[in-house]
Amino acid sequence: MGKILKKFIARLAILVVVVLVGGFWYVRHIPSSPFDGAGQPEAMATLEQGEYIARASDCVACHSVPEGKPFAGGLEMGTPMGSIFATNITPDKETGIGNYTLAQFDNAVRRGVAADGHRLYPAMPYPSYAKLSDDDVKALYDYFMHHVEPVKQANKPTTIKWPLNQRWPLAFWNVAFYESGTYKADSSKDELWNRGAYLVQGPGHCGSCHTPRGPAMEEKALTEADNAYLSGALLDGWYAPSLRGDHNRGLGRWSEEDIATFLKTGRNQHGVVFGSMVDAFNNSTQYMSDNDLKAIAHYLKSLPGNDGDGTPWEYHEVSVAMVRPGEQSFMANCSFCHGRDGKGRDEWIPPLAGTTSMLSSYDESAINVVLNGSGRVVASGIPDAYRMPSFRDKLSDQQIADVLSFVRSSWGNNGPAVTVDDVKALREHTHPASPQPIILQMR
Amino acid sequence: MNLVINNKTYEIDSDADTPLLWVIREEVGLTGTKFGCGLAQCGACTVLVDGEPCRSCVTPVESVVGKQITTIETIEEDAVGKKVVEAWVEAQVPQCGYCQSGQVLAATALLKRNPNPSDADIADAMVNLCRCGTYNGIVDAIHAASRQA
Repeated sequence: MGKILKKFIARLAILVVVVLVGGFWYVRHIPSSPFDGAGQPEAMATLEQGEYIARASDCVACHSVPEGKPFAGGLEMGTPMGSIFATNITPDKETGIGNYTLAQFDNAVRRGVAADGHRLYPAMPYPSYAKLSDDDVKALYDYFMHHVEPVKQANKPTTIKWPLNQRWPLAFWNVAFYESGTYKADSSKDELWNRGAYLVQGPGHCGSCHTPRGPAMEEKALTEADNAYLSGALLDGWYAPSLRGDHNRGLGRWSEEDIATFLKTGRNQHGVVFGSMVDAFNNSTQYMSDNDLKAIAHYLKSLPGNDGDGTPWEYHEVSVAMVRPGEQSFMANCSFCHGRDGKGRDEWIPPLAGTTSMLSSYDESAINVVLNGSGRVVASGIPDAYRMPSFRDKLSDQQIADVLSFVRSSWGNNGPAVTVDDVKALREHTHPASPQPIILQMR
Repeated sequence: MNLVINNKTYEIDSDADTPLLWVIREEVGLTGTKFGCGLAQCGACTVLVDGEPCRSCVTPVESVVGKQITTIETIEEDAVGKKVVEAWVEAQVPQCGYCQSGQVLAATALLKRNPNPSDADIADAMVNLCRCGTYNGIVDAIHAASRQA
């Protein structure tokens, strides 16, 4: 009896050791890269190629802070456990990525593993960048090594406390949610569609904001194979609308040309970029070529709408009689720009009639933009002439709830009424002095 | 593009998204309309477009092509506007005067829509700001103009 037990314990101990050693190796190991052993060639791509893919990937929006040096990091991102900070990705040898080889850079960008083996938080959209082509990774590396100014600026430590600050469990997160492999062209689709799919899924990482996330903060889908892909999501106090064919909450009423124009100029007759999309436009989409924007539009228009979008929106006349709550606030504060008819002013001032924010059951974007106004949209170096001001100090929670409820139920809009509590919560969360601010917001 | 301001047609060279206020003041040279906040918040830039008050600082000029634009310069050619200006002078409403062209146009639009406004109607419609605080004078003048009508 004693002998059998001893043998069993011995075997168990061996198994535990093997699992521990294997697990330790697994969570610390550095994945292989197609660039392993590659030397340091002088120039792998032209400046234009590198800059273009850096723009398309919008690295600068997160890896910089306002008034800071480009790519020097420091942007704070709130998580339920604490804050993390974007890192210095300038080629500074001490505090940046100056010592990274191409293979190490590739592992960070496409596999979420830093040179020393620590796992990156998936706030870095490596599950999307995984799809980048080898050529684009090379061009990106070349750009950061040779064309970005090195900046000596130490990375800020996260404020997440032990034991949640341990990075190794992310290796298992990757097993569950990360799909390796670059973008594979779908041969049943044309070249334009495939180029669009590559840009949207890969460098553009549109799903980081527009795809809903699951309980482990994973994007519920990374390709069009799943209907959840780009079906709209709430994050950082903004509702990123569906980019699928939904008539009301998506791009159903937009033509391919409307989408391309929106990404190129920041505006069209349906709306103007606001919230977090201001960064994506100012730093990224406007720099993309007309053909690439056409490809993105072509791909997005191939995504069908989902069930539950409701009755298709149609415009209805409304006579404003100053009787319903919110009507007076609307006339005094909104109507001068957005029009008494809610139709806006061509592409210059967006309509309130029929826009996603006024039709969606999510009211966060509508409340947020009234409280805090919109960010400055800079197209081709020229700041916009018209900008949504902040009404934080001018209108009470009740007034904002009333005016938005009025707008969300006028001109055919059918968004649910906005409650005072919704406004109050977002007012506190988006206040700069709040103890629980939503940090990653427009800048 | 052509713009009809105070019943006169002007040939305009400005870009389509130029604010109407810039066109009125800089290109056409009618300086009675004032720049205040530039954000549609204060009302100093108010003009009438087809009889409705319009914040010209946030109105892209392209959007008012083909419409009748009225500014303070010719408001007295309008019967209601004339009564408002007379009431304004009678009540000696202005102090510094900067916001008053906007106030007069907003009051004219109100009386055209509602010839006998109550105090509450006036409070709802007259949202133009006045740093001198001439609000009581404005209410008195609007009531006086209303009685004259």
